[in-house]
Amino acid sequence: MAQINPDFAKELKEYGALDFNACYNCGNCTAVCSLSDKDNSFPRKMIRLSVLGLEDELQTSLDPWLCYYCGECSETCPQNTDPGELMMSLRRYLTSKYDWTGLAGKLYTSKVWEFGSIIFLAAVILVLFIFFHGPMTTELTAEGGVKLNTFAPWKQVEIGDWIMAGLLSFFLLSNIFNMYLKIIGRRKEIKIPLKLYFKEFWKVILHFATQLQFSKCNTQISNKKFELSTYWIIHLFLMTSYVIMFILIVVFLGWFQTDNIYAWWHPQRLLGYYATIGLTVGVIYFFISRLKKSQEKTKHTHVTDWTFLVLLFLSTITGILVHIFRIYGMPYPTYYMYVFHLMVLFPMLMIEVPFSKWSHLAYRPFAIYFNNVISAAKKIKK
Amino acid sequence: MKNRIGVYICHCGSNISDYVDVEKVKEIAGKEDSVVLSKTTMFACSDSVQKEIIDDIKEQKLDAIVVASCSPKLHLFTFRNVAQRAGLNPYNYIQVNVREQCSWAHSDNPPKATEKAIKLVKAGIEKAKHSQPLTPISIPSNNAVLVVGAGIAGMRAAIELAEMGTEVFLIEREYFVGGRASQWNELFSTNETGREVVSRLYNKIIKTNNITLFTGADIDSKSGGVGNFDIKIKIKPRHIKPNCKLDLENFKKAVEACPVDFDDPFNFNLTKQKAIYKNYPSEFPEIPAIDFDHCTKCGKCVKICSEIDLDQKEEIINVNVGAILLTTGSSPYEPEISEFGYKEIDNVITLQQLKRLIELREGELIYQGKKIKNVAFIYCVGSRQVLGENKYCSRYCCTSAIHTAIMLKEKYKGINNFHFTRGVRTYGKQEILYNKSSKQGDIFLQSFADSPAEVYNEKGQTFVKIKDVLTTDKQLEVKADLVVLVTGMVPRENNSINNILKVPIGRDKFYNEIHPKLRPVETVIDGVLIAGSCQAPLNITESVKSSLSAAAKVNSLISKGEIELEPTLAQIDKLLCEWCDKCTSVCPYSAIEKKEVNGKVIAEVNEANCKGCGICLPVCPTNAIQLIGYTDVEIESMIDALID
Repeated sequence: MAQINPDFAKELKEYGALDFNACYNCGNCTAVCSLSDKDNSFPRKMIRLSVLGLEDELQTSLDPWLCYYCGECSETCPQNTDPGELMMSLRRYLTSKYDWTGLAGKLYTSKVWEFGSIIFLAAVILVLFIFFHGPMTTELTAEGGVKLNTFAPWKQVEIGDWIMAGLLSFFLLSNIFNMYLKIIGRRKEIKIPLKLYFKEFWKVILHFATQLQFSKCNTQISNKKFELSTYWIIHLFLMTSYVIMFILIVVFLGWFQTDNIYAWWHPQRLLGYYATIGLTVGVIYFFISRLKKSQEKTKHTHVTDWTFLVLLFLSTITGILVHIFRIYGMPYPTYYMYVFHLMVLFPMLMIEVPFSKWSHLAYRPFAIYFNNVISAAKKIKK
Repeated sequence: MKNRIGVYICHCGSNISDYVDVEKVKEIAGKEDSVVLSKTTMFACSDSVQKEIIDDIKEQKLDAIVVASCSPKLHLFTFRNVAQRAGLNPYNYIQVNVREQCSWAHSDNPPKATEKAIKLVKAGIEKAKHSQPLTPISIPSNNAVLVVGAGIAGMRAAIELAEMGTEVFLIEREYFVGGRASQWNELFSTNETGREVVSRLYNKIIKTNNITLFTGADIDSKSGGVGNFDIKIKIKPRHIKPNCKLDLENFKKAVEACPVDFDDPFNFNLTKQKAIYKNYPSEFPEIPAIDFDHCTKCGKCVKICSEIDLDQKEEIINVNVGAILLTTGSSPYEPEISEFGYKEIDNVITLQQLKRLIELREGELIYQGKKIKNVAFIYCVGSRQVLGENKYCSRYCCTSAIHTAIMLKEKYKGINNFHFTRGVRTYGKQEILYNKSSKQGDIFLQSFADSPAEVYNEKGQTFVKIKDVLTTDKQLEVKADLVVLVTGMVPRENNSINNILKVPIGRDKFYNEIHPKLRPVETVIDGVLIAGSCQAPLNITESVKSSLSAAAKVNSLISKGEIELEPTLAQIDKLLCEWCDKCTSVCPYSAIEKKEVNGKVIAEVNEANCKGCGICLPVCPTNAIQLIGYTDVEIESMIDALID
């Protein structure tokens, strides 16, 4: 028998949930939600479980990850319980629960932890540069560019990159494994053949690359359709830019962080421009829509949402400035901006990827993957 | 014998004429003795036909008329008026129902319907022949009223009646006024306290000249009828001298000195009280009282306070009133032992007890020595019963429970409320309270009547579990520090009043009105009216509304100085009556009394009480009783016509 936990509501409100207690079970949200079917009532089931504080069931549920926040439930709710924002806060809550270190919960619910760790990680970078940077030469290359690799040789930076990538992968993968334990491990009633895991795995890659699940949040209202598809395209642009940039700096740093100045059509520059444009456009779009509160999904912004956007924005701007200063031969601005760039980039990746907002890019495709594995296993059982 | 009778057969559009051959009925009726005129009409009730009938009566000098149309329930008074306007006595008009009883009932067999209509019309003609002119009885009425029960409804009605010029006798069985409302602190919707409301009404009553209030008073007996009830009121002594100037110090000392200790009903047995008492300091009347059921007459209080008089005796006083208004109110339902753990598990109490507890406990909510954090409210206890007789919804309890839950959170820290409902009914403006409580984080669970919540104890911890329909029938449980049974309303125990006044009581044990929509505050006993929660579960607002409507109804009944009654009453032949007492024992309205006329003991009908039901007729061994308007001659001639 499940025991009701009235204190859970207070906890969930720290993750951004609003007046969800006021739900009187009318079911309008379920009627309007395109994810609902006869077996699963989105998002009412999650609201009810949250009201009752049934944490076990919430933690084994995949529903929050399948929802892409079209916001129609919040628009329809007669009690203003904001189910869409509840689903959002459940995603934050689940991120914290998948994280076995407990850091995610602290970062989400405490500003001291959030900003303290950013400052701490930035300070680590600063200290490393103070002690280990190369000569700050004012001599320029034959093409007139700054000799950045003299100040910060890519081979040494790449060692740092690999250490960071190792840490990120370790935390993120172990959190995903923890998610697996909660989702599939606790469903003891279902036996899943090993073969299925392999057969369905391509879905992780597909959904990571495309966020196709977004299209399930279809709406009947035409201007909303436009709004949602714009959101999806820009999100996709932002995400691919991000991934390209990540690969460039972690895997191909030697090629990317060069002292050469290539022609504008060179892939090194084209890829870099694609990524920086994608990041800039994306960040500005999300900034504006969160400030204007024009869509249901951008009406409520948790402090961690702002942090992510600000860090991403600063990383992009500083990266662009490093590039400009370098090719126009301005040594000191290049060096200082490079240090600042890493002081922003490093905390952003370390905090956001395994412990915060970024991790939804991993949890969402895995949720769809687990969901498919479970339903395939159920079909076999039948 | 009437011998110039007019007969009218109505088509009722086509309602009657589609199945009953009205022309044939007209022809046969026209051939009957004493019938001088027989007509069909399209709509007998229409203005033009009414005028035509009046002209016929005048021109043809008709001495009785028969209209064969619809049910007399619809148009008896219409055609009685027609007769009266034509100068004919209204009781010389006879209505025959050929619509409900012929065309509608026998639409499958028109010839038989016609045959039946002919017989009924013939019987009607026979009755018309023997009909007597009657005049309504007029009896004098005293513009005074007895209001029974000085709760909010009774006090409010008393004030209203007094302001309309009616003399009011307001009696209260307890020593203090206010009824249930004085037991409640904040009331829902307005948040003023029950006592503030009671004080306001009491202060108005003592300033109003024509209200006489008796406390500790009950009806002892009643005689007479509407307009002229003679009531004996029994007044329990207060055992405090009537002009006592209340000395608070002395009163406190007397309370301390009293050696008796018993469960305090005012606080629903949560505390103890002494035999000399006031339930709360500002209670009215200001003078305390001594509960003689518990007093041991030890005399300790007398030594402290000279105003105490243990030798006061019960008094009987007589009043004469034109009407009686019952506002005897209701009580909370008392759960059965072990119903949801009541009186079996320590921390199970009723909503009413919780409301008293909130008032008694400042700062922290402690019950049975334990600090309360989780409160589980179980709804519909004693209402909407599946097995029991209380099928009704008690209306006030959902709102009251939710209002109390809000108060709990406002007054104490760290309270969690759980509502185990069978569907929340905070109707009307009270919905705002439901909204407030759910926004403050109260958790609502719901089950149907067939799977109620369960309360049980395990290792010293109380749990409430439920199959929650709002969570796909999942079994859920809550650790509860306090379980509150949201008990409904039952009428107060009024056995003596019920025996004396014989007001009809429904299956739900509340008093029954004549018609819930059209005559909601009158009873079938002429002159006895009901208002407030003695009639049905009502909240305070609704009680006051009903008491004001009853006040208006009482005033319109008795303030004219006389009351008109139907003349169709039982009449006793003084020569034939041998006084055997049979008629008095069957009369449901106590309308027949024993009387000595010229040395002979006979039965006499009290016209004000008799309802003309006729139940006394068949029991009379000497056939001394006739029902005016339905005499043996009339009925026998009708039967002859029907079997002819």
